[in-house]
Parts: sequence; structure tokens; C-alpha cells
Amino acid sequence: MSKELSVVLTLLSPFIGGLVYGFERIVRARMQNRQGPPILQPFYDFFKLMDKRSIMIHSFHAFMGIMYLIGTWFSLYVLLSGGDILIAIFFHVLSLAFLVIGGFSVRSPYSVVGAMRELIHMLAYEPVFVLAAVGLYLVTGTFQVSELLKTDTVPILTLPLVFIAFLLSLPAVLKKSPFDIAEAHQEIIGGPEIEYSGKFYEAVYTAKWIEYVYAFFFVFLFAGGNYFLGAVLVVLSFFIVNLIDNATARVNFRQMVSFHWYILIPLVVVNLMLLALWRA
Amino acid sequence: MEQIVGALIVLPWIFAIAVFLSPNHRLRQILTFLSLPVLTYLAFKVWNSNLPFFVETPHWVETAVTVFDYLLLGYFLYQGIKFRSFLVSVLAVAQLFLLTWVLLILPHSATPPIYVDRLTSFMYLIVATVGTIICIYATKYMEQENLDRENRFVAILLWFLGVMNFAVSVNNIEWFFALFETTTLASYILIRFRWDEISVKNAIRALWMNQVGGIAILIGILFAVKYYNVYNFTDILKINATAISMIPLGFLSISALVKGAQMPFHKWLLGAMVAPTPVSAILHSATMVKIAPYLILRISPVIKGTLLAKLLITTTGFVFVAAGLLALTQDNFKRILAYSTISLLGLMMLTASMGSSVAILASLLLIFFHAVVKALLFLEAGIMEKEFHVKYIEEMRRLIEKAPITVFFIALGFMSMTIVPYGIFIAKWITLEEASNFISHGAYIASIIFITIGGVILTLLYFKVIGVISRKRGEFVSFKLEKLPFIYMFTTGLYVISTIVGSLFIAHFSTDFVNLVVKDITGEFANIKAESLTLITPVSQIYDWQILGAIILLMIVPVSAYFVYFKADRVYEYTCGENISLNIGTYNFSCISKIEPFIETIAVALFVLTLVLGGGLV
Repeated sequence: MSKELSVVLTLLSPFIGGLVYGFERIVRARMQNRQGPPILQPFYDFFKLMDKRSIMIHSFHAFMGIMYLIGTWFSLYVLLSGGDILIAIFFHVLSLAFLVIGGFSVRSPYSVVGAMRELIHMLAYEPVFVLAAVGLYLVTGTFQVSELLKTDTVPILTLPLVFIAFLLSLPAVLKKSPFDIAEAHQEIIGGPEIEYSGKFYEAVYTAKWIEYVYAFFFVFLFAGGNYFLGAVLVVLSFFIVNLIDNATARVNFRQMVSFHWYILIPLVVVNLMLLALWRA
Repeated sequence: MEQIVGALIVLPWIFAIAVFLSPNHRLRQILTFLSLPVLTYLAFKVWNSNLPFFVETPHWVETAVTVFDYLLLGYFLYQGIKFRSFLVSVLAVAQLFLLTWVLLILPHSATPPIYVDRLTSFMYLIVATVGTIICIYATKYMEQENLDRENRFVAILLWFLGVMNFAVSVNNIEWFFALFETTTLASYILIRFRWDEISVKNAIRALWMNQVGGIAILIGILFAVKYYNVYNFTDILKINATAISMIPLGFLSISALVKGAQMPFHKWLLGAMVAPTPVSAILHSATMVKIAPYLILRISPVIKGTLLAKLLITTTGFVFVAAGLLALTQDNFKRILAYSTISLLGLMMLTASMGSSVAILASLLLIFFHAVVKALLFLEAGIMEKEFHVKYIEEMRRLIEKAPITVFFIALGFMSMTIVPYGIFIAKWITLEEASNFISHGAYIASIIFITIGGVILTLLYFKVIGVISRKRGEFVSFKLEKLPFIYMFTTGLYVISTIVGSLFIAHFSTDFVNLVVKDITGEFANIKAESLTLITPVSQIYDWQILGAIILLMIVPVSAYFVYFKADRVYEYTCGENISLNIGTYNFSCISKIEPFIETIAVALFVLTLVLGGGLV
């Protein structure tokens, strides 16, 4: 990917993410036999929120919300600029750190519980992400995203189980049911987001749109240089994630971590082992 | 050069005696402060000299070491009898027996007993910078605790530095045993320094556990002499161990695991926290436990690729994960730090056992940055104890309101152990990529899983603590920076600056400095390059703008977060409209405490496996 394109994509990512989010709400509504909001609804919400009276708990907390947006944006650029894929994964942790510290910094039970759960989410999905990156390295011979996008090999053909594992860990990244314990609206009312409002909530809200772009770009990488297949994979995984979201109930944190560690990680390992066998 | 190496060993002892005898607190502080520039200068002199070189010693030194050995073990035996510790006495007697045996069969060797290479000189630099700063800090700490015993305390710390310098420069393993046990003595004296019941109990435990390491070294020497007729590190590096016997190397690795407080021998390091905090700082960062990765690095070219190395990787990788998990259940700040040291020592030894140039580079980076950061965190623990009277996580709630600087330094210390772009992260990252190189044969996937899961558990742990200390009330508006004594600010400030500068210039630090050490250990440079701030590894690179961006995000942002002020209306936290008094604690992860016996069982099993299978005892 050229430098200009990555800059443009990064700058546009809130719009792309917003559109994806709007589309997702329609898809979910149709799955539930509802009409759903217009596709631009997230942007209407955006302007409404900008207009609201800004209230906050304290400046430190509000500032962390804004930093979460900037951090996520930066980590997306790290991914899109074609650098090292592992570095991009760990930059995502960095951006999450701001949300977590923000969540911890207020004396609100829901926010503190949510921030801790946010960390447990990371505990669950990060090993899967790193192992997926290792798998991609194994078949393409590079950790650089720019090189990955140029290869002729199509990683998903040799890494089907890794792809499945990755796909099943996406709900944890995007906080979708059954792995939405960090937000859990019926239980902890949005977790770390709860204490944000007005403009500051807007920052957190936008950061989540950017995370959509971040997560689905990873899916795109599984097609290597075959962009058409990449697009198909992204659309497919988008539908699957929403289908799972609609069809399942929330699990508790222990079930989430066990699912990721004891099912998804072995799945990746089996794939890598088979690959080693097949190649040798 | 011989004189400089001698000075590095003897000067700390002279400083120690001078500090011990000087009557005036101010004079003691000045003397301790002098040790920093003097030792650093000498260490740099050695670094810049023509390395590696051997040093011949006169014959009386040999005799002196032997006499010292017997005196030391006799002292251990005396302590065992005095405190009625069966284990200490029995182990001391066993060591006396084995030592006599060793001395009887030791053949004549033409190899000089002192060998100084880049690795030694690297350790000198760490001791000279990180170690002496802790001593400077200790003068203030003891002033607040008990001025009468300050001279004794600081003198022991300084003497310890000399011992450590000696330990990393010896080539003769019999001498290494003597110094290994001298560091045990130093830790024993320091841990029981407060002379209360629990201090003595923990000191005795540290004593017997470390003696197990001493016995392992002695048995290792016996087997090395039996099979190869050698007892010097440089000679051991020349043998072809896989062909004949791995037993000596197996026992040496075991002694490293014990010294490095790997499970199941981790309790002695946890017990060390009862001593004054500078003791923990010096044990965890510059001296003592760093002998463990040092020893593995010394023998890593021989054990590379053997079953022993693989079992070491498994054992230390397991400890990396398990110690991190157990740390989650702790509520004492120093215990959390201790567990995280155990965990990271596991990672250091894991990378050292992998043995490839890049892995060795990662191990050295870990040793350096861990020394700096752990020293910083322990000094902060001491500051919190003395200035704010908090020891437990529960008491640390809302510390940010009272002590923004302390909180910022602690947060920085924790972040620099997990997050991009700090040194420890870089080490973890290049290890991951190095392990991925082997994975096409199906090997090393376990180490990748260990490294990722262990790393993410440590992240969880550190953010749990940062979360507690950074919580504040909504009505608290303006931060007022706390006033700390000058020495506290100076010492911690030095560590903070070196962490940040070291991470910023990590590329050049790795290529121009650490890579020379790698060359001395493995015989070839790690294949990395530096272009301005960009670090280029064999398969990938971390760009300058990434490093800069992350440092700006992590540095300037938290600082400005103290001073940013938004104009917005204030509300109270949402509590479903109920007016309840809040007392927010943190998670104690009791679900992990339940599996602690299980974890320890696995640790024992792996430990035995390393010795039995790795050492080839079957």
C-alpha cells in the first residue's frame, strides 16, 4: 500500500468505520426482522452528541477518553502504513491502555469493573492475534504488512484453521456477543464508557468505529495479494460476526478466556503443525 | 588492565570500609555518591579496552579463596546450628564434604582464573550504574529508618557490588562457587538486617535455598573434572558436550535456576521483601538474581539446541507465565514486584537458552532494562513506604491525589515493562520473531505461546496496579506536585531518564553496544541494523516514527493529563441514582489462588525433568 493511500485511509477511517457501524445496525435489525435505522444514523448521533452540554467527572478522565481516540487512530496508521504486524498488534494494546486507565481513574463501580474486563478481553484475544501473525509469517515469509499485501500466496488456503480461530476471536475484539463482557449493557451499563458524555463520549464512540477498520483490515490480510478475495473475506466475516452477535448470549469472563486459550490457540497450533508436516 | 579489573573488585570494598568507619552521615553520603562516577569510569575503561583478556593471579589468591571457602561454609554451619535450622546445617556440611572432594581431585590447569570479556564488562556497567545509585538512595532511606545502623547497611550494599563484580569476572568454576556463595552470604545478611523474627526466618530460607545452588555447582565441577578434566568456563565452551555427557552443564543450569528464583525455589526472593527496600532493589536489579541469566549466557553456546536447552526453555517459559499469574493474586506491592521479577527472569533465561544471536541480544536487552526498571520500581516502593506510609495495593488507592510524581514514575516503570516501544517490549518482540523463524519445523511454538501469554498476563497485572493508584475523586481538581527529598528525586529521576533515553535510542543501543556482547558470546553479530532511530531486524523493522510516537503518547500525555483542564460541568459518578458511599478496591483473582498448589507441582516436575533429562541422568 502506498504511503498516500494509507494516510488517506487512516484519515477517512472514522467515516468508514461509521458507515460500517451504520450498516451493521441495519444488518442486525434485518436479522431480527426489524427495519433498522438509516445507514447514516451513527453520524446523526455524532452531531447530536457534539451539541450536548458537556459534562464530565474530572478532566483527567475526559482527557483519557480523547487520548483513546488518538491512540487508536495512531495504531491504525501503524497497521495501514505497512509496518510490522506484531508492532501494530502491540500498538493496539497501547491505545487500549488509555481507555483502561480512564476507566480506572473514576470512582465508579461500573467503570472500574469494565476496565478490568477490558484487560481480560485482551488476555483472551491477544495470544490468538500474535499466533495468527506468526502463521502469516510462516506462509508468506514476512511480518511487514506492505509485503503481505504484495505476495502471490493466499494465506487463507494454507491457514484455514488459523483464519477460523481469528474469526472467532473477532467478537472479543469488537466487544460483540457472546464476548461483550467489557461492555455488557444490561449488567455494567457500558463499562468504561459509562462515565463519558457529550463530546468526550463522542471521542470514545469514534475510537470504536476506528477499531472496526482495524479489526477487519486484519481479516483482509488473510487473502495476501488477492484483494478481491480479501474483500469477500471481510464481508463474509462481517456477516458471521453479526450473526454470532445476534444468535448468542453473553458468557462470563472465565468461559471467554477458556474458549480462547483452550480452543482457539490449540486450533492455531494444529494448523501450524499440519503445515510443518505438509511442508517437510 | 589487570589493575582496573582489580580496582573494580576491590574499590567497592574500600568504599564499604570507608563508609563503615566514617562517623558523619554527610561524609558517608559523599563517599557513596563518589562510588557512582568512579565505578562507572572504571567499567567504561574496561569496556573500551582490548577485550577479551585473561588475568593471571598470584598463587596466594588461590589459597586465599580456598581458605575463604572453608570460613564461609563454616559460618553457614554456625548459622545453621545457632538458628537450629536442620537444612542449613546439613547443606553446609554437604558442601564442606563436596568442596574438599573437589579440591582433592582438581587437576592443574594452565588457564588463568580471571577472564574478562564483553559480557563481564556489560555486567560491570550494570553494577556500576544501577547498583551504586541504589546505594546512594539507601543513605537517605536509612536516615529515615535508623541512622545508627546506616553505615553498616550501606557498607554491606557496597561490598556486595564488589562481590558481584568479582563473581562475573571469574573463569575458574571453583572460584565461581566461592563467589556464588558469597552473594548468598550477602543476601542472608541483608535479609535478616532488621533482626526481627520474620526477617531471620526468611533469611534462613534464602540461605538454604541458595545453598542448594552451591551444591549443584560443586557436583557440576566434580562431573566436569571426571569427564573432561576441565573446570574453567572458557575450557567448558570448547568441549563437545552432546557427545559425552551433559551432566556438568545440567547441574550448572540448576544452580542458575535456583539463583534466579525460578519455581519451586522462588520463595527466597519473595521472603527478601521483609528487609529494608534497598535490599530488594539491589537483589532484584543489579546483583544476585542477575547471576542466573549470566550463568546461562556463559554456557549457552554449548547447550544451544540440546535437550537441556529445550527443557530450560520449557521450565523458564512456564515460570514466566505462572509467576505472572500468581502475581495477580498478591496485594502487597513489593510482592507483586518480586513475582514480576521471577517471571521476567524466566524470560531472560528462556531467551538465553535459545542461544541464537538475536535471542542472546534479547536476553541482554532484558537484563539491562529490567535492572533499570526494577530498581526504579523498588525505589518507588521505598518512597511510598517512607513518605506516604503505604505498602499494600489497598492502601495505595487514590495515591495520585497525594503524589502525582510518584504515580507517574510507577506508571512509567510498569508501562516500560510491557508496552511499545520500551526496551523490554523490543526484547520480547525480537524473541517472538526469532522463534517464528524456527517454527516452520514445528519447533518453538511452545515458546511463542509462553511469551505471548506471559506477556499479556504481565500487562494485565501492571494495569491492575496502575488502575488502583491512578483513581481519584471527581471533586479533586488541581494536582500539587509532592515534595520529595532530593536524593529520592535524583536517584529515581536518573532511572527514569535512562529508561526513556535507552528506549528512544534502542536501535543504536542494540547495534553499537549490546551487539558487541553478543559477538563475544556466540561468535557472530546478531543480524540487526540501525538507521537513525529505526531498528532493522532480519525479518522486520520498527520505525523511528513509531518509537517516537509511542514515547510521546506515553510520556507527554500522562504528564499533560495532570494539567489539562476542560471547561465542562461536573457530575458525580453514575450509581443507578443511589446515594451510596463507595469503597472501590480491586480484583484479587482468587480463582488463581486455588490452583497455586497445582502450579507448584508442575514447577517441581519441570525442575526435576530439566535435571534428569536435560542433564542426562537417565
